Amino acid sequence: MAQERTDVLYGTLALLILKTLDSMGPLHGYALARRIEQISKDQIALNQGTLYPALRKLQHNAWISAKEGETDTGRQAKFYAITKSGRAQLEAETANWDRATSIVARFVKGLS
Amino acid sequence: MRALFARLIDTFRRRTLDRELEQEIATHLDLAAADMQARGMNAEAAQRAALRHFGGVARAQETDREVRGFAALDAVQAIARSVQRGFRRNPGTTVVVIVTLALGIGATTAVFSVVNGVLLKPLPFPEAARLVALYHRLPGFGSGDTGPQSPATYFTYRDQGRVFEDLGLWTTANVSVSRTGEPEEVQALRLTEGTLPLLGVHAHRGRLIQKEDDVDGAPNRVVLTHGYWQRSFGGTEDVIGQSLTINTAPYEIIGVLPASFRWLNTTPDVVLPLRLARTTTVGGNFGFRGVGRLKPGVTIAQANDDIARMIPLVTEQFPLDTGVTPEMWKSIGMTPNVRPLSEDVTGNLSRPLWILLGMAVIVLLIAWTNVANLLLVRAEARQGELAVRQALGADRRRIAGELLSESVTMGLAGGALGVVCAAVGVALLQRMAPTALPRAADIGIDVIVLLVTLTVSIVASLLFGLLPVLKFGAPNIAALKEAGRSTSDAPGRHRTRNALVVTQIALALVLLIVSGLMGRTFVAMRQVAPGYAGPAEVQTFSIALPVAVVRDPTRVTPIYEQIAERLTQVPGVATVGLANNLPMDASQVFGPVFVEDHPVEGAGPGRRVKSIGAGYLEAMGTPIVAGRTITWTDIRQLTPVALVSENFAREYWQEPTRALGKRIGGLPGKWYEIVGVAGNVREVGLNQPAPTVVFMPMANRDFMLRTMSYVVRSNRAGSPGFLRELQQAVWSVNPNVPLAKPRTLEEIQAASMSQTSFALVMLAVAACVALLLALVGVYSVVSYIAAGRTHEIGIRMALGAQGRDVRALLLRHGLSLSLVGVAVGIGAALLVTPVTSQLLYGVGPMDPLTYGAVAIALGAVTVLASYLPARRAARAQPLRSLRSTP
Repeated sequence: MAQERTDVLYGTLALLILKTLDSMGPLHGYALARRIEQISKDQIALNQGTLYPALRKLQHNAWISAKEGETDTGRQAKFYAITKSGRAQLEAETANWDRATSIVARFVKGLS
Repeated sequence: MRALFARLIDTFRRRTLDRELEQEIATHLDLAAADMQARGMNAEAAQRAALRHFGGVARAQETDREVRGFAALDAVQAIARSVQRGFRRNPGTTVVVIVTLALGIGATTAVFSVVNGVLLKPLPFPEAARLVALYHRLPGFGSGDTGPQSPATYFTYRDQGRVFEDLGLWTTANVSVSRTGEPEEVQALRLTEGTLPLLGVHAHRGRLIQKEDDVDGAPNRVVLTHGYWQRSFGGTEDVIGQSLTINTAPYEIIGVLPASFRWLNTTPDVVLPLRLARTTTVGGNFGFRGVGRLKPGVTIAQANDDIARMIPLVTEQFPLDTGVTPEMWKSIGMTPNVRPLSEDVTGNLSRPLWILLGMAVIVLLIAWTNVANLLLVRAEARQGELAVRQALGADRRRIAGELLSESVTMGLAGGALGVVCAAVGVALLQRMAPTALPRAADIGIDVIVLLVTLTVSIVASLLFGLLPVLKFGAPNIAALKEAGRSTSDAPGRHRTRNALVVTQIALALVLLIVSGLMGRTFVAMRQVAPGYAGPAEVQTFSIALPVAVVRDPTRVTPIYEQIAERLTQVPGVATVGLANNLPMDASQVFGPVFVEDHPVEGAGPGRRVKSIGAGYLEAMGTPIVAGRTITWTDIRQLTPVALVSENFAREYWQEPTRALGKRIGGLPGKWYEIVGVAGNVREVGLNQPAPTVVFMPMANRDFMLRTMSYVVRSNRAGSPGFLRELQQAVWSVNPNVPLAKPRTLEEIQAASMSQTSFALVMLAVAACVALLLALVGVYSVVSYIAAGRTHEIGIRMALGAQGRDVRALLLRHGLSLSLVGVAVGIGAALLVTPVTSQLLYGVGPMDPLTYGAVAIALGAVTVLASYLPARRAARAQPLRSLRSTP
């Protein structure tokens, strides 16, 4: 079962979005969803609909901003970009994530 | 913080944001589809895949709204919209639900407002919980639990009591007031000076009765009630100091009571001091009622103990009446009975009222089951829609909230309409049963009643709202498959609905049985032989000849005789008689009666003693069983003769005739010869056995009476013209004497039955509503089932089933519902009816005839209710039934 797909871990979608926007620059919704799936090598089953409420939350916290733009195919779409405070948040979250995973990893290894 | 602010701003841009998101999602889906197509899918498949990949569009929008704004606010709006939509989709059901609820809630609210006003509200005095009524138990006088007080007990208890803040003594009397020419009969409340202050009553104008007004020989002073002040003096301010002629003597008006003053079940016009004289007080003269205020924290039991301690002191402080020995005084067996003052008002009405409330709750339950049923049907019709919405990702909680709030809205509307019904009902009640209901002024729809109604409405609607939620709130794939068609006809499908109908029938049966028993009671009471005849043709009224009107005591009895003579001359009068009290009257006289040839230790049992003038028994139509009656000659000559009732005669001498010539008396040695035996009369009430009665001449060597009731037999009884002629006849003897309490004997009898007839009417109305609701319930369920089975019926008929087979099929269903309902109902009624036995007379609480008749009648009408839809279904054209896409 190489193709087994994991659901997005609860609470990590915001981190994925911020990271993706940070490394890829401004993206519209669909591209963002596709990028997240591609980076995970299609191992993440992203319910694409859940992306938009998450984007709204990030906007409320002013970690991302939205601007109208045109896609490659010339369609009007909303483009999301990470903000300065978004970057700071990303750094903090990444550190948190690293610490959390290393603790969990130690536990899992230590006990097996 | 910033996030909260951003959210707040977003709530004001709801529409814009919604539109933007919609566009964004559309773009997303387009881009995704284009992407898929680029990877080699055809257009249609690509679109489907894009949608699938996206998840629920509605779900995304919903979540976005939740994230964005304040979900609760949104939800309320959405719910309001859906309620509106629900109403528009099905106004019929909504109206039926609201009206049904209004009936149930209205009935409950009306009865509850009576219970609240009569039983629950405290009396209109400050700290009313500490007010007590003081009674004695006087077994020697046969006066039951509410034996009166005497001045001697009052002075003793007031002087020596330890647990009372203060005590008062009171009584009512009819006095005649003359302001302009003709004397007017008004009710006076006579009380001791401490009574009003201990109640916490303050004067509205002037002052109340004070110590110096309440002593023997004090100047005549009177306090007016607010109502009398308004009625007779137009509420003028300068009334204080004016003179009022009461019983021909001038009284100075010193004050006016506040409008809020109510005194138990009396309706006084004026308040007079009792002016008891301590120096001339002797042990007896039990003719007053006592009221007291307990010190804080004192219990009723402590008050009883305190009085019990003081009872022996009474004879130490005051001499006994002449001729009464200490042994005789002791044999009265006086014990205290202190009880909350509120019981003086409610009397024995508390149980009937609670029973009525219980019955109203049953009506509410039946209404509730009907509504629950209707909503189930409605939810079932919507289950396709609900299933689709859930499949599209609608929130389960949201759907449940919608269903519930729809019910609560209807519940509140029903409650509001119910309150209107109740207000009308209460107004009717007050008009219909003024004699059966005390504290009429306190009955009404107040804040407490409204709060209870509101709670009932909300709880009831949440409960019936939950049923469809539980049944249809869960995702239902089957409903989705059948695309709006009702689901399979599984056997358990109608279980809830059947259970509701069975409950309804059972509850209706309970109500019908209780009101049936009440009806039988009423009939039994009407058929009782009361011991008098033709009550409609007996006009009664009372007349007082107080000292102020007739000073010379030897003149009193001749005046009564003279009046009786004049009354006989009024056209249409057959017979005239008089007695000191009438059957079923509040004022009764009891006393120990000694029998010469049956000597007893002490005083023996107390008897009802009636002092009569000539003609009383004849005018009442009470037969003389043996011997003769009392004549004016007996009275004039003070002959020591007496009559006894037949049951009294049988008690001592077995045969009425053997009582003649025997001697009885209120004191041993002062004997009266029995010259006649009268038939038994139901003096206490039609539903009470006839008590033993001793008839004495209205005057004898020891006393004469100054208040008498006349009974005039005439076929003109009850007409105003007749009364005027009687009044003229009385005035021709003495112009200062007004007629009091003019009533026909039938009116007195009806008043004594008022509690029964009141309960009967209330129960009958409740039972009718219950029956109607239950019939609607059965009818709608069978119709609904028939409609749901149209297709099946079509197939059956196409395969050769006859109309009657189909009819039988549906009838069987209705029949089994009604059989189970009746069976359950009989069980419930057997449990409930014993509670009502206090209200019943001449019929047992488990009267098989009532049970049988009601069960058969209810069974029959419920079967009829299912027959109508069954017949309609059976007449259906098979082809049309088959074609109908159910």
